[in-house]
Amino acid sequence: MNINKSNPLLLHPLNKWMNKKKWSWFPHQIETFLHVRTGSDVVVFAPTGAGKTLTGFINPIDDLIKLKKFKGLHTLYISPLKSLANDIVRNLEKPIKELDLKISFQVRTGDTTPYKKQKQKQKPPNILITTPESLALLNSYENAKEFFFNLKYIIIDEIHTFLDNKRADLLSLNIERLQTFSPNLQRIGLSATLKNKQDAKKWLCRKKPKIVSYENSVLPKIKILESKERIPWSGHMATYSINEIYKEIMKSKLTIIFVNTRAQAEYMFKNLWLINKKKLKIAVHHGSLEKNLRLKVENNLSKGLVDCVVATSSLELGLDYGDVEKIIQVGAPKGINRLLQRVGRSNHNLNTPSKAILVPTNRFEFIEAKAAIEEIKNNNLDKIDLKEGSFDVVAQHIFATACAGQFNINNLYSEIIKAYPYKKLKLNDFKQLINLIQDGGYVLKNYDQFKRIFQLRENKNIYKLVNKRETRKYRMNVGTIIENPMLKIKLGTKTLGNIEEVFIQNLSQGDSFIFAGQVLEFQSMKNNLVQVKRSKSLISKIPSYSGGRMPLSTNLANSVRTLLAKSSMWDLYPDQITEWLKRQKNISKIPKKDEYLVEQFLRKKNFYTVIYTFAGWHANQTLGFLLLRGFKEFDYKPLGFVANDYAIVLWSLKEVKEIKKILNIGLLDKHLDNYLEETSMVKRLFRDNAIISCLIERRLPGMEKTGKQVLFSSDLIYTVLKKNEPDHILLKSSYEDAKKNMIDYDRLREILKKIDKKIILKKLTSISPLAVPIILEINRENLSKKETDEYILEDLENEILKEANVLSIN
Amino acid sequence: MYYQLINFGNEEFHAYPNKSLYWKRLNTLIVSDLHIGKSISYAKNKQFLPPYDTKDLLNKIFVSLDKIKPRNLIIVGDLLHDVFSTLSLKDQDYKNLSQYMKNTDFIWIKGNHDKNIQIEGFKNFTNYKIEKFLFTHIPIETPLFQICGHYHPKVKIVHRGKTIFKTSFVHNEKIFILPSFGILTGGLDIHSKEISDVLGKKNLNIYPVGQDKVYKL
Repeated sequence: MNINKSNPLLLHPLNKWMNKKKWSWFPHQIETFLHVRTGSDVVVFAPTGAGKTLTGFINPIDDLIKLKKFKGLHTLYISPLKSLANDIVRNLEKPIKELDLKISFQVRTGDTTPYKKQKQKQKPPNILITTPESLALLNSYENAKEFFFNLKYIIIDEIHTFLDNKRADLLSLNIERLQTFSPNLQRIGLSATLKNKQDAKKWLCRKKPKIVSYENSVLPKIKILESKERIPWSGHMATYSINEIYKEIMKSKLTIIFVNTRAQAEYMFKNLWLINKKKLKIAVHHGSLEKNLRLKVENNLSKGLVDCVVATSSLELGLDYGDVEKIIQVGAPKGINRLLQRVGRSNHNLNTPSKAILVPTNRFEFIEAKAAIEEIKNNNLDKIDLKEGSFDVVAQHIFATACAGQFNINNLYSEIIKAYPYKKLKLNDFKQLINLIQDGGYVLKNYDQFKRIFQLRENKNIYKLVNKRETRKYRMNVGTIIENPMLKIKLGTKTLGNIEEVFIQNLSQGDSFIFAGQVLEFQSMKNNLVQVKRSKSLISKIPSYSGGRMPLSTNLANSVRTLLAKSSMWDLYPDQITEWLKRQKNISKIPKKDEYLVEQFLRKKNFYTVIYTFAGWHANQTLGFLLLRGFKEFDYKPLGFVANDYAIVLWSLKEVKEIKKILNIGLLDKHLDNYLEETSMVKRLFRDNAIISCLIERRLPGMEKTGKQVLFSSDLIYTVLKKNEPDHILLKSSYEDAKKNMIDYDRLREILKKIDKKIILKKLTSISPLAVPIILEINRENLSKKETDEYILEDLENEILKEANVLSIN
Repeated sequence: MYYQLINFGNEEFHAYPNKSLYWKRLNTLIVSDLHIGKSISYAKNKQFLPPYDTKDLLNKIFVSLDKIKPRNLIIVGDLLHDVFSTLSLKDQDYKNLSQYMKNTDFIWIKGNHDKNIQIEGFKNFTNYKIEKFLFTHIPIETPLFQICGHYHPKVKIVHRGKTIFKTSFVHNEKIFILPSFGILTGGLDIHSKEISDVLGKKNLNIYPVGQDKVYKL
């Protein structure tokens, strides 16, 4: 890099350290420094390896040295992940210790001990590295104002992960709170390269907003694993290529294998160990593992003590594990941005390209991997859509505010609407949210004597918490991430991590499953604890986790569609892929870029309808729900559906004879209004809303509710509320969430408008090659509709009657 | 209304999808575990459930009484959730209740939740015997056939790779357990230890409640 003689950073306290390391300042670091110094809020866009973390700290460190022995909190650093927060500390430690700078810094996350937290509150460090949830908690303490009144900078790392979700809402509200405490506060955002940079700026910046951008000209080297084995038609586990993956690990010093789900991580890890003849050090890392296990892996990774780590998105962000030489992505890339983020984990050096190998786990994913590599070459990134803020997060924020002390609702409202996601929040909705926190916000005023917050008699605009005990309930419920009901796994007295309750429900005593890389035998379940012992069983199940499913980006979906239809390319693919596509062409059809293939066949007593929309998971999910209703109307007795990024499959007890009469724009017009009100999706969203808004508690102090109870009571509340108070703010909030989650709704509408002229209907005698992957996903089907329950009961009853040789006359 | 015919203790009972049980020969309707006022009792712990359960429950009962016009209504325990529950009963509710009591004999068997609560005009019992049947909240040692509540039974059904839970009527040879008639009430797996201790694990007759129909497994 060129160093301009007038580079102001040559006088920076860190310059000596940079020289010692033989590093020079990047142009974007200089630019950011100057902007921030002159009072701008800045978002910095730079690829991994371009010293992003350091960029954020340049001004704070300069300022802290100049201020000499600054007492109290000066800079807050917000990280999206706990693991990343730990990594930032490790990186900050090096220059500060080596230069012996008098700057204190600490980390504060959900993993920090209560003792440490208490000490931090009494004697805050100059720099605090934390997460959005921990920030929200800090803001809910009575002395929050004193804690933050001198805060100079807030740095939001990986800001691109904070733009389109409820965590972003929570964070935005808390940043505004900090700004109220400390009006001079400056904001610095650090982001990966983004298609819509202006949106990130709008979201974060208030004072003289500036964008600083640095583009890397070195493209990553990404290829698809050249496998001699047969790529399976379906599946997600990449068993076929395990030996070849192992060889790739051996070739590199340090490899991270990224997979898409926790189940895949466990499976991959187990299979690698089965063939680990060279005794390579292989570890596994995912969000359900106990904290200590995770920290151990992170430490070993940064010290280069392992050869390979199998990881989910838990290791995806920003981590600077310098020695990682190669990334192996097993499974579909899902999106361009995401793949780039993962690939960027290798070679944290700008001038050498990152190296990555994509391992498609089935044939569809081969096409997707191909398409992703093309789009990266064309620098065609995915757009991240900003969203309007959710109501439930405001409710939680109101509760938090009340915990910190009495508050004026007018001041609170004007603070909230300064946050970008809430610019359009109506006063009336805000007041309903106040009522929601006060007593549930019901029209029927039954709870006058049991309020949580109350108006002062002398000033109706001032609200106050009823008693201190309530603060504890808020603190148990903080945050916007609602996991599925989870149970703790205990091996002896040791906790291994958390597992979904649904998975355990389907186990019987003595069944074995894989977790944390070990084969475990299910012994018993008591309260929230699953007791297990080690097992030598060769047959074992793998827990699946339904959370965190990433949809295929619209961008990439389009690219896949185009590529699939390009039959001139087929011969360039491995023989097996070519053969797969040719076989599909013979048995059924390969849809052209603008055609919609529909296949129907009978299988195991059920009638299957597969529709290839390539519309991405969100749109397909919506379409699936609508089609269920359509099928029901025609009395086809639908049992359920599964959608993936490419297609939808529905199965029914009766043959779907008139698909063209159902699959058209009328489907939307006829069913959309009722759809939102009746799907279990809204029920699930209502549960999230009820928990986030603190209407129901995920945990009660001293008494851990099992997840099942929360799920159950929220369903009951939903039903009662819908019947008696359909305009309740939480129902409204759930419908809004549903609409926001259906981000591909417009596209679905476009498809349905013209689909009836472009349906290619194929009646088959068996499953087509293209349909195999989605049919196999049916096991993971997660639909739970009342009507479906009825059919299952009816069906089961009939089966039993038949077994007993009794004719069913009904 | 569809009903499921259940034979218990050599008598015929009708199980309705609204979770009530009807003994036609004696024109007696049986319900259990209404937990009236559960919402208001939760509200004292700042859990603000929708305050409509009392109204909805009374309506549900009144609709049944209008339709069936039984001579007796037996409530096998936990009519009320706790002492706070009466706060959710309004004057009009009492008036309506006494109106219905003119034609139907209300037999309120006390449960663990409402054993210390009195409502004016309500006769209450710890248990109640009709012929060879004993109506009680929690089953006791007796040679009689027992009809009780308390457990809010639900059944886990795994079929075609799908797991669902359904509220159920369930009985063995001697003991019959009603599902909860309540609105904000949860359920307990019939294979849980608590229910197994009472009914045993074998020879159970299970009747899951669907939307408009009671099924038989």
